[in-house]
Amino acid sequence: MIKDQRRKERIDRGIKVRSDGIYAMMSWRELTYLVIPRLVLIIGMLILPLVLPGMYWQRVITITCIYALLAISFDFLAHFVGLVCLGGAFFVGTGGYLTAILNTSLGLPPLLTIPLATLLGASLCTLLLLPCLPLRGVFFAIVSLMYPLFAMRVIEALDILGGTDGIIGIDSFANRWVEQYMVIGITLLFLFGVRRLVNMDIGLVFRGVKDNDQAIRASGMNITIFKAIAVFIAAAMGCMSGACLVHIYMWSGISQFALDFSILPIAATVIGGGGTLVGPLIGCLILVPISELLRDFGTLRIVFYSLILVGFIVFRSEGVMVYGQRKYHQFERWTRI
Amino acid sequence: MLEATGLMVFYENMLALNNIDIRCEANQIVGVFGANSAGKSTLMYTLSGIMHDIQKKEQMAGGERITVMGRIDYKGQNISSLKPSQRAKRGIILCPERRRIFKESSVLENLRIGGYLASPAQAKKTLQYVFEIFPALEKIKKRMGGFLSGGEQQMLAIGRALMAQPKILLLDEPLLGLSPLMQATLIKATREIRDEMNIAIIVTEQYARPVFPIVDYGFILENGAAVMEGIREELMNNPDVRSAYFGVEET
Repeated sequence: MIKDQRRKERIDRGIKVRSDGIYAMMSWRELTYLVIPRLVLIIGMLILPLVLPGMYWQRVITITCIYALLAISFDFLAHFVGLVCLGGAFFVGTGGYLTAILNTSLGLPPLLTIPLATLLGASLCTLLLLPCLPLRGVFFAIVSLMYPLFAMRVIEALDILGGTDGIIGIDSFANRWVEQYMVIGITLLFLFGVRRLVNMDIGLVFRGVKDNDQAIRASGMNITIFKAIAVFIAAAMGCMSGACLVHIYMWSGISQFALDFSILPIAATVIGGGGTLVGPLIGCLILVPISELLRDFGTLRIVFYSLILVGFIVFRSEGVMVYGQRKYHQFERWTRI
Repeated sequence: MLEATGLMVFYENMLALNNIDIRCEANQIVGVFGANSAGKSTLMYTLSGIMHDIQKKEQMAGGERITVMGRIDYKGQNISSLKPSQRAKRGIILCPERRRIFKESSVLENLRIGGYLASPAQAKKTLQYVFEIFPALEKIKKRMGGFLSGGEQQMLAIGRALMAQPKILLLDEPLLGLSPLMQATLIKATREIRDEMNIAIIVTEQYARPVFPIVDYGFILENGAAVMEGIREELMNNPDVRSAYFGVEET
């Protein structure tokens, strides 16, 4: 009865198997196979500003990269450390306000304010999130969601840091090319940096914390320290995106604590494929331009936007990147059983 | 009563079940024995239909592709494409490996959830019956599931499965990590359940010795294939089976 049944099987491509180890270095074909996808991404990102028509779309690409940084930080925290952090906006806002203060009060140039705000902001965020680190899952998500709302209301109510008007008169980048290539460079740097990080020893511990934190504790490691390190890295990425954003807009206000900065990166991660780190960047490259295109529809764009998201989650929850990786590394064929 | 023919399950390209034919007659206890990775749990998931759910979940998450082939007949009807809930309605109830009881519900609530499919009168009757065969459960019926000991949890899991009014009960490793005394209690209870509720039971286990006395018919799985089958006496006298699954070294 089962004689004529067939089954579709997935097989790793020969070249994938050959290029798995160090021997990939011995042949150009295998090297190309490994390098091409990365090269396409890097070169693609670098020439994007050159080929896009007009300043408007160039600005869209800059904003895309800023969201991508946030999305990578979300993906890192959620899929490699197990902390679902909805506080992306908190990182952006902290980085943004710190940059604004450093720039307007101390008169530091953007080249100094961005790294300073990144480090200071990340330390501040880690310190503030420290009490919540023992929390897990949905509890951490809820608490981290409260932080940006909290910060926004504090600034509004106490009328500090410029109140609802925000801080104005911040230096912009030297010109738009510096602005774009700086943001793109930072994004690529962090993308490959985090990819490297999660494959190092500390990355193993991070994944261990996600899978079974009790076992990590039983191995004699303090999980709160590791969670704090992870939050510091993620917060640094968020603060850096906030710092860039402030210099681009030449303005820092409470809208930097807006929910958009928390939600859109998550959507991008879902579409791009969680746990791949490149996926969130691809997701942002899809989502941010779409949301710009849909601007013509006014408030109706939220509807389209939500429909796209729901469609992706229901029908392709694996994400673009996971799908793409599979197609690149494996082929399918029918076999007779 | 339940008959599976040519069951094949692939996890991606790995063959987990290889062309297995298994059947269980009414009012019979069938034992399925095999080492780890022999495919016992896969077989149970496939029979109860949970495999369809796992398959779908993996597909959505872009994980492994699971292929299920073969045919499962239950009371003369082909049920291979039915969902687990539909199978449960027809009386195929799985008592899963590692118990999977509801940790934050009390013992009584756990049993009540199990009785969702039954009519109130039936549920009441079965509840009494469960407390009758597992008197230990009645004493702790207010306690949270998560605070029970391993043996109590297993009793609860079997009790919960019984509440769903099974016609055929699939017990997946009911003796996992239990003391010999508790194992004996559960085995005795299993036989009583079969005798009094007149149901068929398929039980899987790695170590055959404690289960063997109550088994009518046995299958031996090895690496996903059914290498041997037979009535209890046949298997019992086979030297290979004795050494592999009873720990008896023939000299």
